[in-house]
Formats: sequence, structure tokens, C-alpha cells
Amino acid sequence: MRSLPVIVVAALAIGAWSAVAAFEHDRPQAGAWQEIAWPFPRDGWPAGRAFRCSGEVCGDDVELYVRPKIGFCNCDSGVADDDEVDRVADLDLMSQRFTPLEPGKVVRIADMPGRLRSYDLKMADGSQHAAVGIAVSRRCDLLVAVAQGTGSAPGVQRVALDFLGSDDMTRWMMSAMGER
Amino acid sequence: MNDRASLIAVAAMTFVACCIAAHAQQQVIGAPPEASNMKLVGSNDLQARSAYQPTIHHQGDRWIAYIGHHGGTDDIPAPVNPQTGKAEPNGTSIVDVTDPAQPKYLHHIPGQEGKYEAGGAQMVRICDGKALPKGDPGAVYMLRTFGSEAHEIWNVADPANPVLVIRLGGLKDTHKSWWECDTGIAFLVSGAPDWRTRRMTQVYDLSDPANPKKIRDFGLPGQEPGATGAVPTELHGPISTGPEGNRVYFGYGTNKGGFLQIVDRDKLINGPTEPTSENLRLPEISRMPMSAFNGAHTTFPMRGMPIAEFAHDKDGQNRDIVMIVDEAILNECNEPRQMVWFADVTVENRPMMISSFTVPEASGSFCERGGRFGSHSSNESMAPVFYKKMAFIAFFNAGVRALDIRDPYHPREVGYFIPSITAATDKRCVPVEGADRCKVAIQTNNVETDERGYIYIVDRANTGLHILQLTGPARAVAGLP
Repeated sequence: MRSLPVIVVAALAIGAWSAVAAFEHDRPQAGAWQEIAWPFPRDGWPAGRAFRCSGEVCGDDVELYVRPKIGFCNCDSGVADDDEVDRVADLDLMSQRFTPLEPGKVVRIADMPGRLRSYDLKMADGSQHAAVGIAVSRRCDLLVAVAQGTGSAPGVQRVALDFLGSDDMTRWMMSAMGER
Repeated sequence: MNDRASLIAVAAMTFVACCIAAHAQQQVIGAPPEASNMKLVGSNDLQARSAYQPTIHHQGDRWIAYIGHHGGTDDIPAPVNPQTGKAEPNGTSIVDVTDPAQPKYLHHIPGQEGKYEAGGAQMVRICDGKALPKGDPGAVYMLRTFGSEAHEIWNVADPANPVLVIRLGGLKDTHKSWWECDTGIAFLVSGAPDWRTRRMTQVYDLSDPANPKKIRDFGLPGQEPGATGAVPTELHGPISTGPEGNRVYFGYGTNKGGFLQIVDRDKLINGPTEPTSENLRLPEISRMPMSAFNGAHTTFPMRGMPIAEFAHDKDGQNRDIVMIVDEAILNECNEPRQMVWFADVTVENRPMMISSFTVPEASGSFCERGGRFGSHSSNESMAPVFYKKMAFIAFFNAGVRALDIRDPYHPREVGYFIPSITAATDKRCVPVEGADRCKVAIQTNNVETDERGYIYIVDRANTGLHILQLTGPARAVAGLP
């Protein structure tokens, strides 16, 4: 019976290792994108994942932040309009001052329907950035992504959608939304 | 027995013990209710419709409960009304509770088609025609939401045969409104189509319910049409103290990033109405932000409460208190705890949170019971029987909790009641490894009281209405015999 604590500790360690391994397995292989630390202070939602893309692939520096917001979506209508994107897409984490460039459009990411919209973003240092906010939903849950960079809005949108559409990211987003 | 055999035996016993412990917390059909200092007087199944807001009205020599419902469920989108034999989308139940031991179901007014939050007629307020400045003295008016698309006013003078008076439609959402019966001023939680938020306030003069007069739209700067930038947290609902108190307490956020907004009622009603950022800011006295973890569902004012502990102080013996109730949204504790907060708003431009209350999770393993655990709403009746003495909090799978709030700096639970589940109680699910894992538990959604001292709780998971009364020492807190 003296071995009982050892066995319990070993079992817990194996369990924890399995959980970490499963999580690691779901992480995207970023390619030109590098994962960075979540740069924002804690708010009502758990932190998500943050990525930076530099160099030729992305034209200019682009950063992308993505996270689920479980239970935050209208269960029946999903992401219904552009106001919803303005409200939920985490643009305000970067700056309270953002202006939509045009009406948003329908998008589908990781097989989840929603909308995306482009913005001008006035940063705290006064510089102007382009941003794209994305909100998609599954049942009553929301997944939001926001990308911003110093390049053009269409450019930021293109590289963000390419990255979010990668197999690794798709797998991670589905996993994060409880779709395993 | 060798070491290995002992280990297996201990592990097996531990597994069985854990299973029994977990199982013991699950509600089962036929088990008695769990209660302390509260007892069941009567019940009604409300046709197994998911229930939101009950309002109890003393109508002539009768007592009538008006109960708003959410939309139907995936399994039963429109339950059959046995009185008509027809499938009817969930709307408003009208129940005669004159004899609380024998509630009598009078009528169901269908609501908007749609399931869960998307349909039904969740909210309801009542004013007598004779109390309203320009109402028909013979009428009793029921203000209700019609799903997300309209507010409606019905004449329920004959509660078994309601008559529609008017509908205010064209909205993208509705929620928990407030109606002053002595002035007719109504603060309707609406989604005006051109506003940048799902829920804001439309202030109406409903002193003559047949001829509503719009006063203004109101919300937070940034929510108005044409604004840019971040859209502030949406409204949940207001409570007004009327012209005498001249304050409206707005609760924003539901379970996240909430705050209490204190508004000058006179400036709100009589100020400039154009929804500019400046005009929206004008009536605001102050805001008290809450943690991003919590939202404000109910903001219940209790002004001028004498605090016994401060009785010999030269200043500040009486305090203005607002009880703020968060709403738990996610099943099985998949979010920060939503609970009850007490704010001292005596110094209005420096409101401060002074105390809180939650049900101890371990007292019932509530995170494992299924469904939501956490607060949702409080009684909103200001009748003297309980006002400033006791508050009743709907706590989903922990039923209703009775609090002694005579010292709001130290609220204290003095009773609770968790109804039994029935065959009608609906399941609540969470995704686990790609599949739904479902449990059945009471989901006490709302609570209201009447002037007689009865407590009415309704269930979001279709278990119906339970009418309760206090027993033992809890009665003494309210001064009941």
C-alpha cells in the first residue's frame, strides 16, 4: 500500500501529460506566422491566441488575435449584422477608435457562418492601422478574430483569411469551440 | 491480500464512493424538494412551458399571476394548450392564485413563434387603468414583450379573456421593461433597428395605453445611430423610483462587463431627445463599473435604509442601496460565478460595492447537478411585507434563496427552496468530446412576491410555477406572525 501515493501521482502526471499532448496536437503550425503572447489584459473572456506575421508573405507586419466567446451569441440568429461584428470582434482591445470602411460581408470559417468587416483603426500613438474583424458562430457560441496591420485593409483581410483557413487553425478553432 | 490486490480494492471502493456522491447530487423524479425555512403551498405546471418573469397583481378581490415565457424547445416548439387543444407558441400564462394552494390556470396568450430566447413573450408588467392618469378605469393593462419584435398592451380586466389593445412593433429585440403605474411613463427595453446595440431604452408615455406617445430613445454614447468605435455593453433592464425619487437605475451587461448607471429621471424624460452623444450623456449622474467577470441583470433600488450599525454615527445612518443581480448563462459553471452584489449609492457620484452573496457551491455540488448555477434575478415588488427586509434570489439549480438584507453590508441567507423535478423538467446539456452530455435539474429562473407574503418562483426548464411561504425564523425577519 506504500506504493499507492506513487501510483496516484504517476496517474495524475500521465493524465496531465496527455492533456498537454492533446492540446499541443491541436495547435496550428504557423508557417510564416509566429505565435506570440496574448498581449491584452484580462477581461470577461479567457485569453485567446495571438500571432504575428512579418515579411514578404504578409507584405507588412500583421497581427491576429483569435478566441472563442462561449455562450455569447444569439443561439438562433447567429452573427446577424455588422453591428454585431463591431460589438464583439475585439477591436476595442486594440483601440476604442475604429471606423468601418464599408458594409461587412458573409464569411465562413472552420465551417462556421458569420461576418467580417474592415476598419480604420486609430492607435493610441496616433498611427493609423487597417483592421479586419471577424465573428462566426456555432449554436450559442461565438468565435472572434481580429487582425490589424500597417498595410492596406484588403491585404490584411487576405492574409488573415488565408491563415484562419489553414488546416492547423481550422482544427484548433473547431477544438476550441468544443467540436472535436 | 497483497499490495496489488489492496490497491485495486481501494481504487474500486473510491470509484464507487465517488459515483454515489456524484449521483446523490442529481435530482430524481419523486424525490422531495430541498428546503430550509420555506415550504411549498401550491404549484401549477404552466403547461410545461419555459418560464421567465412572473408578476402578481391584486385585481379586485382576486390575485392573478401573469407569467412570461421563453420560446419553445427543440423537442416541443409549441406545446399544446389543453384549454384550446391547439399547439400554441409559448406566450403569457395567466393563473388565478387567489387560493395559493389551488392555483387555477385561466388562459394562455400565445407569443412569438421561435425557440428559447428567440420566441415567446418573456416579460410582463401590470397597471390598473384607474391608477394610470388617462387609463380606462375599468381596464387592467398588461404590458408584455412579444418575442424580439414588439411590445404589446392587453386589457386583462377579465383575465380569462384578454383583449389586445395595441402593439409597438418593428424592433430587433426586447427585454425587461419598467412601467410606472402612477405616471404611465414606461422604459421599454427595445432594439431600435437603427441603433448599434441589440438592447437600449425607448421611453414612452403610456398614461393612455391605447394612445402611446414616444418620448425618446436612450442608451449609452456609442450605441446611437451613426456612432463609430466600440459599442458599449448592452442594456438588460431599468428600474425607476418614479417622480418622487427622480432616479432610474439601469443595469447593463448580463454576465460580463456590467455596470450600474444612475440616471436623473426628470432630465431623461424632459431633456433634449435627439440621440446625440451629448444628449445621451446629459441625464447620467454616475456609472459604477463591475468586474468584466460579471454583469448587471437586475438593479433593485432600496433608498433610505436605516443601518443599525451606523445608528449612533453623526452622519450616514441611512443609506441608499442598490442590489445588483448578475445572470448566470452557461451550464455547469462554465463561466465566472454570477452572484448578488450590494452597492451603497448614497453618494451618487461615488457609488461603491459593499457586500455580496452567493450560494456555497459545495453545499449542493451545484456545478455538477446540471444546467445553470448562479444567480439570475430578484423579486422586484416593493410591497412593504418584504421591501428592505428580505430579498429573494432565483439561483437556477440552487432554487430560490431567501436573504435577510436588513443590514445590506452583511446580507445573510435565512432560507431556501429547491423544487422537485418532474417528468416535464427539460434537460440541459454541455458538449463533451463531441457529444452532448445532458442532465436534468431545476432551473429557477425568476421570483416574485405578493403583498400577502407569498413567494412565486418559476422554472426555465419547464417545471412550472411553485408558490411558497416562509417558515420558522425566516418569518420573523420579515415580521410575519
